[in-house]
Amino acid sequence: MLVTMVEQDSLTLTEDEAALYDRQIRLWGLDAQKRLRAAKVLLVGIGGLGAEVAKNIVLSGIKSLTILDHQQVTEAARCSQFLIDHTAHLGHNRALSSLERTQLLNPMVSVSADAADVADKPDDFFRSFDVICATCCSEQQLLRINDLCRANGSLFFAGDVFGYYGYMFADLNQHEFAEEVQQKVKAVADAGDGDGEPAAKRSKHSATETVTVKKTMTFTHLKDALTIDWTAEGMAKKAKKTPDTYFITRVLMEFCKVHKRAPRVSSLESDKEALTKLRHSLLTALAVDESLVPQDFVNFCFAELSPVCAVVGGVLGQEIIKAVSQRDAPHNNFFFYNGVNGSGMVDLLC
Amino acid sequence: MAASINGVLEQTLQKSINSCKLLVVGAGGIGCELIKNLVLTGFHDVELIDLDTIDVSNLNRQFLFRKEHVGKSKAEVAKESALKFNPNANIVAYHDSIMGPEYGVDFFKRFALVMNALDNRAARNHVNRMCLAADIPLIESGTAGYLGQVTVIKKGLTECYECQPKPTQKSFPGCTIRNTPSEPIHCIVWAKHLFNQLFGEDDPDQDVSPDTEDPEAAGDAGEVALQSEAKESVAGGVARKSTRMWAQQSGYEPEKIFNKMFRDDIRYLLSMENLWKKRKAPLPLEWNNLPNTAQDGDHSAQLGGIRDQRVWSICECASVFAESLKLCKDQLMNSGDCGTLVWDKDDEPALNFVTSAANLRAHIFHIPLKSKFDVKSMAGNIIPAIATTNAIIAGLLVMEGLKILSGNIDKCKTVYLNRQPNPRKKLLVPCVLDKPNPKCYVCSEKPEVTVRLNTTTMTVHTLEEKIIKGSLGMVAPDVEIDDGKGTILISSEEGETEGNMGKILSEFGIRNGSRLKCDDFLQVYNLNINILHVEKLKEDKEFEVIGDIAELQAQASADNTGPDTNSQEDDDDDDDLIMEDEPTEITTPSRKRKANGASDADLSTKKLKRSIDANCQEDEDIVVL
Ligand SMILES: [Zn+2]
Repeated sequence: MLVTMVEQDSLTLTEDEAALYDRQIRLWGLDAQKRLRAAKVLLVGIGGLGAEVAKNIVLSGIKSLTILDHQQVTEAARCSQFLIDHTAHLGHNRALSSLERTQLLNPMVSVSADAADVADKPDDFFRSFDVICATCCSEQQLLRINDLCRANGSLFFAGDVFGYYGYMFADLNQHEFAEEVQQKVKAVADAGDGDGEPAAKRSKHSATETVTVKKTMTFTHLKDALTIDWTAEGMAKKAKKTPDTYFITRVLMEFCKVHKRAPRVSSLESDKEALTKLRHSLLTALAVDESLVPQDFVNFCFAELSPVCAVVGGVLGQEIIKAVSQRDAPHNNFFFYNGVNGSGMVDLLC
Repeated sequence: MAASINGVLEQTLQKSINSCKLLVVGAGGIGCELIKNLVLTGFHDVELIDLDTIDVSNLNRQFLFRKEHVGKSKAEVAKESALKFNPNANIVAYHDSIMGPEYGVDFFKRFALVMNALDNRAARNHVNRMCLAADIPLIESGTAGYLGQVTVIKKGLTECYECQPKPTQKSFPGCTIRNTPSEPIHCIVWAKHLFNQLFGEDDPDQDVSPDTEDPEAAGDAGEVALQSEAKESVAGGVARKSTRMWAQQSGYEPEKIFNKMFRDDIRYLLSMENLWKKRKAPLPLEWNNLPNTAQDGDHSAQLGGIRDQRVWSICECASVFAESLKLCKDQLMNSGDCGTLVWDKDDEPALNFVTSAANLRAHIFHIPLKSKFDVKSMAGNIIPAIATTNAIIAGLLVMEGLKILSGNIDKCKTVYLNRQPNPRKKLLVPCVLDKPNPKCYVCSEKPEVTVRLNTTTMTVHTLEEKIIKGSLGMVAPDVEIDDGKGTILISSEEGETEGNMGKILSEFGIRNGSRLKCDDFLQVYNLNINILHVEKLKEDKEFEVIGDIAELQAQASADNTGPDTNSQEDDDDDDDLIMEDEPTEITTPSRKRKANGASDADLSTKKLKRSIDANCQEDEDIVVL
C-alpha cells in the first residue's frame, strides 16, 4: 500500500541526510524535517524570484520540485536568475534551462522541469502537489490556481518581484500548526525534594518551560485581497496604513493584465508612461488617494533586482518550509518588500 | 547583471557599481548568498577572503558548494561558482585569515566598501578597526536561526562595531562546575575542561577536581579522612598541574582515570558534607561495578530518530569513554612532545569523550543525560543557520551597499529581521544608526580603558593573551609601561620579550594606578590601559575591564528586561497609538579564538532585537559556554 510505504519512508532519516541537514534539524527539529522530505512542490515561473525560492526549498530537503515555465530566457534574467547558464541559454526555455543547476543544489531532491504554459495545464495536473508556488503568472492564472489549491487541499503561495519591489501571498486555508511557547512554571517550594538545588543557585531556566501548543489560523482567497472595497467605512484610514507596495503591486499587475507582460527595459520610456497612466486610472478606480503610490515608482520597477529577490524569496521560501512542517505561525497573508525605502511588512488584506 | 542593463538602476548608481572595488570577508552562509547577489547586481571587481574549508554540514545552505567540494577552500570554490553567473567578473579569492599581517591598512584602502559575512567576534573586531583606520565604510551582518541583522559602520558618522560592550560569554561559577552541577550544561562544561586538562593547553581556570574553597562548603573539606591517593590529586596548586602529569604517569589507563574522576573525586565531594544538606548527594561510580541503566534522559531516542539522538546507557558511556580516551591519547602522542589537542566538536573522538564524560557525571549527580546530538550543540556552541535567513540578510546587505554607493550613507539603517512581524506589521525593522560613542575604547580620539586585576599574581603572558588580545582584540600588540623610562613589556617582534612572559606584572613595577601604552601596528591602533590592582575578583575572575565600559555593561544587562534606549525604530508613523512592545536583547555568543571554525554563526552585532511577541524560543539555539 502506498500510504504505508510513505510512512515508513518518512520514519527514518539516513545518516547522509542527518549529516546534510544537521544544522536545520537543530533549528526546526526532526519531525519538521520528515514532513519536508515528504512534500511535493510545484513552482510555476522561474524568473529571479522563482530561482531564489527553488534554491531555498531544494536546499531544505523537500521530496520533489516541479518547475513549470513556458517563457524564454531574456537578457533581463541575468539580473537575478542564477540557475541559468546565460552564455548557453539565451532564448531557450527557462524551466529546462534551470533544471541542471537546481538539481545540483541537492541530489536528494527529485527535480523536474516542464516547458508547458500553466494556462494550458488541465485542472487535474495540479492535484498531485502538496504545495504550489506561483510566480510570473497572470492574475487570472493566480486566481485559478488558488481555486484549485482550495479544492485539492494544497498550500497556495504566490509572489513576484518588479525591480525594487516585491510581494508574497499565502492562502493556507485552515492551517494547523504547532508553536512552542515559554510558560512560567511554579517554583518548587519544597527544597527537600529530588534535586533540592538551593534557590540561589537554581538557574533561571527552571522558572520557565517550553511547551508546544497546537493552533489554527484561517486564511482567505487571493481574490478577497484583490477586491477590497476601499470606499467602505474606515477603509480610507486602512489604506493609509497598508504598505505602499500593495498598491504599487496592484498597478504593476494591472500593467501585466493590459500588456500581457511585465514592464521591460527594451520599451523603457513607453512602459514608464503607461505605468504612470495606470497609477492614476487604477487608484482612481479603487477610490484611494493617488499619493499612496509614490510618483517615481516607475524608476524602480524594471527587471528583478537580485537582492530584492533574495529578500522576498527568503521570506517566501521560509513560509513554504513553515507551512509544510506545520511549525510556527505563518505570515497571514501578505509580505511586502520595498527596496526603495527598505520596509518589509506583513499585512492581512482581505 | 542589473548594472549592465540601462533602466534597471539609476544612472549614477549604475556607474559606481561598474567602477567600484569591493571586499567581502567570509564565504560561508551569508557570504555565498552575498557573492551571488553582488555578481548579479553587476559588481565585477570583488575580492573575497575566507580561512575556512568546506564541511558537509555547510551544504544545506552554502549553495555555491557541493559534495565534491568538501575539504576545499570556501573562498576558491565560491569564486569559481560565482564566475558561472558572470564569467567576465573579476573575482580574487584568498584562502586566508583577514587578521594576517598581509592585510594591512593599504590593502583595505583599495576598496570602496567592505562587507562582513563573518561568524566570529575576533575577526569582526579586527575588520572594524581596519576599516576605521582606512576610513572605509563597512557593512556588518549576522544571523542566528530565524533572526538576522545588518548594520553600517562609518568612522565619525556611526557607532563602530565596538562602541557598545558586547555581552560577555556566559560562564558558570567554578564551584558549580567542580562541586555541585545541577544541569546538563554544567557537566558538559566540566567534561570539556577535563578534555583540556588531559590533552589540551593548561588553563588553571579549567580545574576539574573538587573545589575546597567553595564558600558553601564552609571549610569542612579535607577534615574528613580520605584515601591518601585521592587526597594527593585534589585541592590546591599542586593538584592543578598534576591532572595531566598524573594521567601521563598512569599511561592514560581508562580504568584509573575513570575511578579517579567518577569515584574518588566524588567521594571527596561527599566528604564536604555541607554541600549535600539540601541537595541530593552524588553517587560515585565504580569501573568494575557499573549500574545497569536503561536509556534514560530525553525522549528523542524513539524509533526513527537520528543515530546520534539516542541517549547512551551508563555502560555504553563507560566503554565510549575508554575508547575515545585511547584515541585522543594517540592523537596527543602523534602531535609531538609538547603538543596539545584543541577540542573540536567535529572531531569524533573529542566529541565522544565529552559526551561520555558529561553523561557519566550527569548520572552521578542525578541530572538528565543528553544525546551526542545535543551535546554537540551545547559543547560546540552551534547556532543553527539556515539558507533562508542568510539569503534575506545577504539581500539586505547589498541594499545598504547600494545606498552608500548612491552617496546616501546618511540613509543607511540597522535592519533587524524578526521571526514574527512587530505590532507595526514590520518583519524587517529598520533603526537609525547611532552616533559614535565618545568614550569608545576603539574609535574615540584617545582610546583608554581601565582593567582591574591582581598585579602580584598575573603573568605578562596572561595579560597579553587574555586581556590585550582576548578581550581588547589586538592582534600583535607592543606594550610599554608609562613609567617615564619607557620599559618595553611586550614586543610584537618575535623573541624580543619572550623572557618576560612567565614573570609577574609587579616584577616590572606595575601596581595600582600604573598605565600601559599599547600599540597595534597592523590595526593602526593605540590604547592606554589603566591598571587597578585588586586582591581578588568575584567568581574567581582573573580580570575585569571597567570604567565607562562597566557602566555600559551594567546598562546592557539591565536592557535585557527593560527598554532599549540605544536604537530607535525608524518610524514617523506616530499616529499609531499602540505602544510597541519593547525589543529585548539576547546575548550574542562568541568563542575563544583558538577554537577557530568551531561555531557556525556568532552574531555580528551587539544586540539582536526582536519583539517580545516573538517569544523567547531562540534562547535554545544560543548556548554559550
Ligand atoms: Zn567605537
